Amino acid sequence: MAANPSKRAPKYAEIKPDWLSKSLAGLCIGFFLAVALSGLFAWWGPGGISADNKSQFNMWIVPPIWLTVFSFVYFFRDGMRAWLWLGGLTLVAFTALFLTRYGMGAW
Amino acid sequence: MRGPLLKIYKTLHTWTGLASSIALFIAFYAGALTMFKEPLERWSTPINADRQWISEAQYPNLIAQLIHNRSDAARSFTVNMIEQEHTPAPITWRKPLSEMRGGPSEGWSATLDDNGSLVVTQFEPSAMAELIDLLHQTAGIPGTAGHHAFGVYVLGVICLLYVLAIVSGFIVLLPTLIKDFFALRKTKNPKRFWLDAHNLVGITSLPFHIVIALTVIVFAFHDQIYASLGKLVYGERPSFEQPAPEPSTYRLEELLMPQELVKKVHAIAPTFVAREVSYNNIQTTRASVRIAGEDDDHMLRGYNRGFVTLNPYTGEILDKDYLPGHEEGYIQPVITFFSLHFGSFGGDPIRWMYFFLGISGSFLFYTGNLLWIESRRKRQRANQALVTQDKNAYLIANLTVGACWGSVAAISFAMAAGKWLQSVGDDPNVWYYWTYYSVFFACIAWTFWRGAARAVVELLYLCAITTALIPITGLIALVFKQSPLWLHTSSDLLLVEFTALVSTAIFIFMAKRTKQHLKTVPTDSVWYYPSSIVQSENSEREVINATNAEQKPNAI
Repeated sequence: MAANPSKRAPKYAEIKPDWLSKSLAGLCIGFFLAVALSGLFAWWGPGGISADNKSQFNMWIVPPIWLTVFSFVYFFRDGMRAWLWLGGLTLVAFTALFLTRYGMGAW
Repeated sequence: MRGPLLKIYKTLHTWTGLASSIALFIAFYAGALTMFKEPLERWSTPINADRQWISEAQYPNLIAQLIHNRSDAARSFTVNMIEQEHTPAPITWRKPLSEMRGGPSEGWSATLDDNGSLVVTQFEPSAMAELIDLLHQTAGIPGTAGHHAFGVYVLGVICLLYVLAIVSGFIVLLPTLIKDFFALRKTKNPKRFWLDAHNLVGITSLPFHIVIALTVIVFAFHDQIYASLGKLVYGERPSFEQPAPEPSTYRLEELLMPQELVKKVHAIAPTFVAREVSYNNIQTTRASVRIAGEDDDHMLRGYNRGFVTLNPYTGEILDKDYLPGHEEGYIQPVITFFSLHFGSFGGDPIRWMYFFLGISGSFLFYTGNLLWIESRRKRQRANQALVTQDKNAYLIANLTVGACWGSVAAISFAMAAGKWLQSVGDDPNVWYYWTYYSVFFACIAWTFWRGAARAVVELLYLCAITTALIPITGLIALVFKQSPLWLHTSSDLLLVEFTALVSTAIFIFMAKRTKQHLKTVPTDSVWYYPSSIVQSENSEREVINATNAEQKPNAI
């Protein structure tokens, strides 16, 4: 997920544990990213926002997404990168979600 | 995959595993037993010789008299379609003792006597299976938070760690997976064997563990996730207020009887076996009837039931979202999630498979802790001062042995004790919790007092004894027919005694093997305890062990 692995040729030995910052990124941003992605699926996925029983399904897919992010967050080279990448992705996802909600007139 | 990353994930696996293992051991062991919650409910209910069952033709009479005489039942009552050990009467209901939903309530049952007049009796179902289910859901952590047990949230957090432990364990294993997969190496270092066994069980049951961990997170935090989705995704959408209930326009004589309603369901779901028919709010416009039943051909929403809701007057099917085999659209994957956790698909073969998966899960967590201790062992070098192990190694050894075998012994003991308590006229429902917790904590205290090495053998024998009490109690009931003890003799319930007997043999075997093994452990192990006999027999071997240890680098 690192931005440009070829040019700077990062040594894998440089990977830092950064337990606290990476874990917090996985726990907190992971959760919000999962909610945002589930939300995008709620609006854009088959059946749209008001499909029968879809809210149950949307709830169920949050933990798998959340825990996937949480589990692999330690692949980031350091905590800062984890926060920036995941934070950025979450920001993009929420922007898309709010634009969707605005566009669909459900604000 | 490179070294540093593997090292990070190995550390992650070590600590998330250690933090979650003991609670998961208890939850998995109790969960394995919960696969047979209903048989255990039947098993723990005393034989009821006075039970008065009725024919289908008498339902209208019973239901009419009940609604007329008992307003608390008219609100909601359940017709039990099949007479079983734990069904006290054809109709049961819970009378709420406060306005609060899900608040305290008392159980009642209704039947007809030989003259066709109503007989109502208060009764409480046996809480033994409920205790095991609670241990499964909370690992025995007491208290409530909102409408959940507090322990459910704790297990939710533990399952976050558990997912990390699963994924990190898998990542650590990946590079050597092919080479090591089916290897069970019995080398000089016993750690190798346990590590191989731990990895083998972990990899083969990986999908099961992922499913369990993720579903438990949902069970714990669904309210919070729904709230977040509601705020951030759905926005302030108008909630649809249900109209206030008004008196029903139907006459009670028009109420459809259970067998007629079941017929309507069979028309669309022929393999559905109706077990409980629950009439709700039948005197209002919100009248409905919910039929709970089994269907081994499909996945079920509940741990052993699927559901369908009908209008009790017209027989119109109002909701078949949870009717096995009739799930549509998004409800289908949702049912799959539930069913994969409960093992509620395919009947008894799948239940036994889940039973053994649950036990193997406990094995995984137990061996994980043993490996943690072993990996941190400071080696004794020959002809040098005695090393002392880290205090934490002793702490973890004591906690693991005490809590794990303590919970196993305590569950068996509570199961057997229930029958004896009932016999002396005490309500075992009050005592189940006390018996469980007192044995559980006594075992932990015992382990800290005796040390893990001695206690592990003693507690394994205790497990054997308390588990043996189950068939012994049954035998006494069989021989002394006058005694108030009981033994249900239907073949599926005798399996409880049989399983307990087999388990007793396994516990004795484990105790003997462990004792044997402990004679060979070197002095630098937390499992070493000075005993004159052991020492004189093995002093020579210890020196050899110590020398071996010196030559080997501290693996892993």
